[in-house]
Amino acid sequence: MTYSRVGLLIGITASIVIALISTILYSRSSVSVEDSSKTDTVGGHTPGYPIVRTTGDVLDPTSSAIDPKAAVVDPMKYLRDFNYGRISKLSNGTSVREFTLIASDQQTKEVSPGVLYNVWTFNGTIPGPTIRATEGDLVRITLINNGTKFHSIHTHGIHPSEMDGVFEGIAPGGKFTYEFTAEPFGVFPYHCHMQPLEEHITHGLYGVYIVDPKKPRADADEMVMVMNGYDTDFDTENNFYTVNGIPYYYMHHPIQIDKNRLIRIYLVNILEFDPINNFHLHANVFDLYRTGTKLISDEYTDIVTMSQGERGILEFSYKYPGKYMFHAHKTEFAEKGWTGLFLVKDGTAQSVSENSNVTSVRNTTSYSIRELDNTTNLGATGGLR
Amino acid sequence: MMEREEGNTSNTYGITKRTILFGVIPFIVLGAMIILLLSSPGILFQSSIKPLPEVSIEKVEFSDGNVVAFVRNTGPSEITIAQADVNDRIHPAAIEPGRTLVRLADARVIIPFIWNAGEPYDIGITTDDGTRFSKTVNSAAPAPRPTIEQASTFALIGTYVGIIPVMMGLLWYPFIRRLSLNKYNFFLSLTAGLLVFLGIDALLESNEIGVDTVAPAFNAQILIIMVAIVSLISLLYVSQKLVQRASVRSRSDIEHDMGYESHSESHSGAGRDFPTFGSSLSSSQQQLLIRPIAISMMISIGIGLHNFGEGLAIGAAVLLGEVALSSFLILGFTLHNTTEGLAIVAPMAKSRRIPVTRLLTMGLIAGVPTIMGAWIGGFLYSPIATIIFLSIGAGAIFQVVYSVGSWIYHTNGNRGLLNNPSIITGFAVGMLIMYLTGLLI
Repeated sequence: MTYSRVGLLIGITASIVIALISTILYSRSSVSVEDSSKTDTVGGHTPGYPIVRTTGDVLDPTSSAIDPKAAVVDPMKYLRDFNYGRISKLSNGTSVREFTLIASDQQTKEVSPGVLYNVWTFNGTIPGPTIRATEGDLVRITLINNGTKFHSIHTHGIHPSEMDGVFEGIAPGGKFTYEFTAEPFGVFPYHCHMQPLEEHITHGLYGVYIVDPKKPRADADEMVMVMNGYDTDFDTENNFYTVNGIPYYYMHHPIQIDKNRLIRIYLVNILEFDPINNFHLHANVFDLYRTGTKLISDEYTDIVTMSQGERGILEFSYKYPGKYMFHAHKTEFAEKGWTGLFLVKDGTAQSVSENSNVTSVRNTTSYSIRELDNTTNLGATGGLR
Repeated sequence: MMEREEGNTSNTYGITKRTILFGVIPFIVLGAMIILLLSSPGILFQSSIKPLPEVSIEKVEFSDGNVVAFVRNTGPSEITIAQADVNDRIHPAAIEPGRTLVRLADARVIIPFIWNAGEPYDIGITTDDGTRFSKTVNSAAPAPRPTIEQASTFALIGTYVGIIPVMMGLLWYPFIRRLSLNKYNFFLSLTAGLLVFLGIDALLESNEIGVDTVAPAFNAQILIIMVAIVSLISLLYVSQKLVQRASVRSRSDIEHDMGYESHSESHSGAGRDFPTFGSSLSSSQQQLLIRPIAISMMISIGIGLHNFGEGLAIGAAVLLGEVALSSFLILGFTLHNTTEGLAIVAPMAKSRRIPVTRLLTMGLIAGVPTIMGAWIGGFLYSPIATIIFLSIGAGAIFQVVYSVGSWIYHTNGNRGLLNNPSIITGFAVGMLIMYLTGLLI
């Protein structure tokens, strides 16, 4: 009859309209579209993980390099870059080393691929330049404050109160020269000590200050490593963890070292928010000189754990060629960027291309050394993008 | 004289033109203002602070070796997605169609990841300013794929949740027919109680989805109220037209039916408290015949819309891994929805006998949308569509409540609603039944 017919019609029409609207509103298919015109692959870093082909963009800080112009630091350049200062002599024969640090707090730079952050820097990089002197030298560090806030330089080590960089801040546009004798020998951090302290440090105002003993340490391939983090969303928890400023950088740009060559790492933990950080070396053990203030090894180990501001000198050499990981054994940090690779070369050649094939290691489940050298690159994610 | 007339005509003509002009002028001014504001940004209002990004992860799907997050830029400006993570640990990912999203644009973030079924996951993405947005999934479950098996599973669920309970409820038809007028009023108001509960439930549920899942940019809560109101008033209009048209067109039909109907009525002996129908029809008696069926039909449609929304929610819950479908859950829904069938038959109990096929049709109108809802919700989940349909359903339910209410007013001898204890009790019991059966879900 009429009612049920009309009702049925309304019911059917309503259902169709409903179905159509829903379909039009949300016709997003969840099935991956494969298009050969422009495809990238992602995944496959981990054995057993599927490799996804995509026509879109790849978000992969573990294998994609950062644009060097926008990056807050070039970690490969920073690694072995020691600044000995402008050297002159006093009449009594003491060496004078003069350094200039320019503080700024207005730049925005890339701290992880695709992530921009308001960085506060000494000389434009995080970490700031590594300052190096020999015990007994007269160190002069001129701070030029190019920023909009008060800044200072607080250097660890022995020095007079007025050179401690705590009670006198340098006003924006101001300038001050810190002067002290380099003592004792060891590895120290330097950082801004203005309030709020945590804010000034976590934004990037820090670097490493090395004092060599008068009798130099044994010849070695020396490098500096600063463990840090970035709290990019300001919730007092780090979003990224790095060694030398860029997450995962040494994963796609492994640090090349020679087999049997003595390696010396000046390791500093400047991480904020998290009370501890650590360094774990794969397939090896190292001599640990805590704070670097003694010449006798404190420990022979493969993990060193450091609280905020702690540091040490690590010495080791690799017996076998190949690729070896080093990372925080606090694995959360490792999985947020604090991971890197050593590439141990058989010969003595130092000038092998940095852009070596890393993904081959991650794409194979075989750990034979011979295979590591021979595997082909299965993924398209390796190297510079 | 001629000149004056001409003047008048041209004036009339001019007024029409001018009317258009007056209508358009505000738009011209508005357009000029928009151009001014957009062409030279910062000339009037300047801000050095970049607007905060806002990203909504609308849905997370788990498939074989992949986690797929559906993200939408719900902030005020264009954003770029930099990274993806699972449980706050960075993972390589692909983003389609691309990493840059204009306002309200969406993208799929595909993260190769070996996940474990049944475990909770927090899926995050980080924008280029380092802000992380995340969505927690309580229990990872493989996303339903639009396969025949999955579609028939949803159809089965819909049948159990929607069709079977409604049909079972229809079985009360003979029972209701045999009740005295006062008891009949009790069941009518019980129906109203059930429906009010359903309507409020739909509004609350859509509000919950709106708050939890839909980005603030969509103003979900005002959308819910708006859609419910529009749905209510337009269905009120439709039902009125339906009754009017039916009463005009089928008067002769009804008069023909009447003889048969009054005959059977006297046999059943149920009409003791009820006016006996004679061969001549007063307008109120006509209403008695026509309105109940129209009301029942509107109830079926209203419940159908509601069940469509419920189906969407069930499908989505399965998709999002929020519920594990169990026999107990289905049983709960079945018990809960059986009352819907009662709601359909109650208004018709005192009219002429309804053919079984028509009852079945009404049952199907009310029940089948559950299946369609489950399909759409399970395969093409969208929180916005879910809340829209839930709100349409709520509006439809309240329209039906209005119809039932005016019908009770009528059967109560136009003496108001709140003076009859059986009406009050029925209403309260109706809501209580829904509340108690709702505890099973």
